Amino acid sequence: MTPLLQVDNLRIELTTRDGVAPVIDDLSLQLNAGETLSFVGESGCGKSMTALALMGLLPEGVGRVASGKILFDGEDLTQASDARLREIRGNEISMIFQEPMTSLNPVYTIGEQIAEVLRRHQNLSKKAAWNKAIELLDAVRIPNPSARVSDYPHQMSGGQRQLVMIAIALACEPKILIADEPTTALDVTVQAQIFDLLRDLGREFGTAIILITHDMGAVADMAERMIVMYAGRKAEAGPVEQVIEHPRHPYTKGLISCVPHLIATLTEERPELTEVAGIVPSLRDFGRDQCLFASRCDRADQQCKSSRPPEIEFDDGQSSACWHAEQL
Amino acid sequence: MTDKKPRPLLKVENLTVRFPVKRGGLFSKKAYLYAVDDISFEVARGETLAIVGESGSGKSTAALAIARLVEAHSGSVMLGDDDFLSLKDEALRQARAQVQFIFQDPYASLNPRLRAEAVVREPLDSLGTGNPNDRQATIDELFKAVGLRPEQQRLFPHQFSGGQRQRIGVARALATRPELIICDEPVSALDVAVQAQILNLLRKLQKDFDLTYLFISHDLGVVQHMCDSVAVMYMGKIVEHADRLSLFNNPLHPYTKALLSAVPSVDKKRRLETKRILIPGDPPDPLSPPKGCRFANRCPAAQEQCTQSQPLLRHMKTGHSVACHRVSDDGVAPL
Repeated sequence: MTPLLQVDNLRIELTTRDGVAPVIDDLSLQLNAGETLSFVGESGCGKSMTALALMGLLPEGVGRVASGKILFDGEDLTQASDARLREIRGNEISMIFQEPMTSLNPVYTIGEQIAEVLRRHQNLSKKAAWNKAIELLDAVRIPNPSARVSDYPHQMSGGQRQLVMIAIALACEPKILIADEPTTALDVTVQAQIFDLLRDLGREFGTAIILITHDMGAVADMAERMIVMYAGRKAEAGPVEQVIEHPRHPYTKGLISCVPHLIATLTEERPELTEVAGIVPSLRDFGRDQCLFASRCDRADQQCKSSRPPEIEFDDGQSSACWHAEQL
Repeated sequence: MTDKKPRPLLKVENLTVRFPVKRGGLFSKKAYLYAVDDISFEVARGETLAIVGESGSGKSTAALAIARLVEAHSGSVMLGDDDFLSLKDEALRQARAQVQFIFQDPYASLNPRLRAEAVVREPLDSLGTGNPNDRQATIDELFKAVGLRPEQQRLFPHQFSGGQRQRIGVARALATRPELIICDEPVSALDVAVQAQILNLLRKLQKDFDLTYLFISHDLGVVQHMCDSVAVMYMGKIVEHADRLSLFNNPLHPYTKALLSAVPSVDKKRRLETKRILIPGDPPDPLSPPKGCRFANRCPAAQEQCTQSQPLLRHMKTGHSVACHRVSDDGVAPL
């Protein structure tokens, strides 16, 4: 089976004042229909850039695909024309953003905003689009959809606004839904509702989901496979349970153990949290031929500082870009 | 629970905060929104009480009222022997040195035009703590205590990373040698890898300086790690209050259960054991709260009586306090 989405050796460069920096450096991945893949990492690791590249929405004049391919259903999106990309966006791949407060237009009703997508992409009539909008609100479980459809965004809570964003993203039944930190600004009970919804949609329509997050709990809950990004590079990838059980990259390990988690039975014991000292390197250092995590890693040795670690493959598709991966 | 109970450092009784709301025309009755509605709790010296709840539950307002950063409508806040809410002028200024605040957003809570040392010095000067000649030495010590280098004192806030900025915020809170520090979501604006640094620092400082924390957070994982006891708030009311292990291992209130069950976890065992409790819908309009239990319209265990009368916070033998009609007297949860 050919994967729905295949990214080969993607390199994205940003032009900054200090020169050209590779914000995505040699990234390869595959995504099958109906699957949920998660990108994990701190801010500044290139998670969102990857998503923007897949949508063909890299910041104009600043960011560009330097090399590599993004194959969607066999078609290379890096070569596609703007018109073709516009066709794909919304219809085939759509995206929901982190800030449900700012991604909706405050001067249009939510019904108009959902209907706009349908009229543009599917040439529905005004009436038909409006009725479909009500159906979609019902599908994302907003109570009393036929009344709420003429509400303005400010009349809805943050969680409901994010549900509306999901309704817009799903309007054309896309094959891939990219969710960029979809629940970061929301309460946990609302987050749980949105995750339930996304999971059901994946099951029902076979929509593949790319979930971008920094919350390992959310990854464990939602995704089948994960990619840990660090400074524009793939640090580790593999099946979620396996990676969480046995991380093969010190960064993954740090990400899991630096956050206190709720566990099945709490005890009096409260071990110190693992600190990942320092911060993500600046863009200037992104292209260097070394392990970019070395400056924050307590295992780093001379080799880590002098050459970039290759991707080492393990069982069941787990892979890690660390010189010490086998010892971990 | 020990028999010899030391006097609590902080004792909050029947604290209520209300905000006037404009509604209707010129002659319509004045309406009030009760953001914090009659809450009471104690925190022992050297311990951490966490207040959890979702946005709009009143947890931050309660914290602000305790620090007298918003005005309380009624109730009392005893800090040691002083009634903090009734203090005035000079006495208040003196007492303020005992209660300090760490804010959520280190990008917004530091004056961008002051050097780091001036930020930390400000409370010393304005609250008149210690001898002016010793202040530089105090600042040096504080920078060391929070893990910043001496030469960083001369830098401006924008020259620091988020985690370092929060360290400055912590140093500022420590400056007047307070007994109580109110931490309002101290790590939620920080990157995950940096959160651990601040949380470890806060725990270390608590030991070193014998601090008492009131810890406000919506992140139950963080709360679990930091607290000795937890109060859960829903729509301005405390619905459950218990020590750390009882609350997380044996939650009684349906809302607490729902909240805990909604947190995704990396622990496979917990994921398999936890039954998700769905609470559909939204909280009722805070301007006209229902006469019964405020959680009743979303509660899967709600019965007739829940919509009729408001449940009071009952103290169980186990040390648990819970406000729910459906929890039996010997502490059996309805869900």
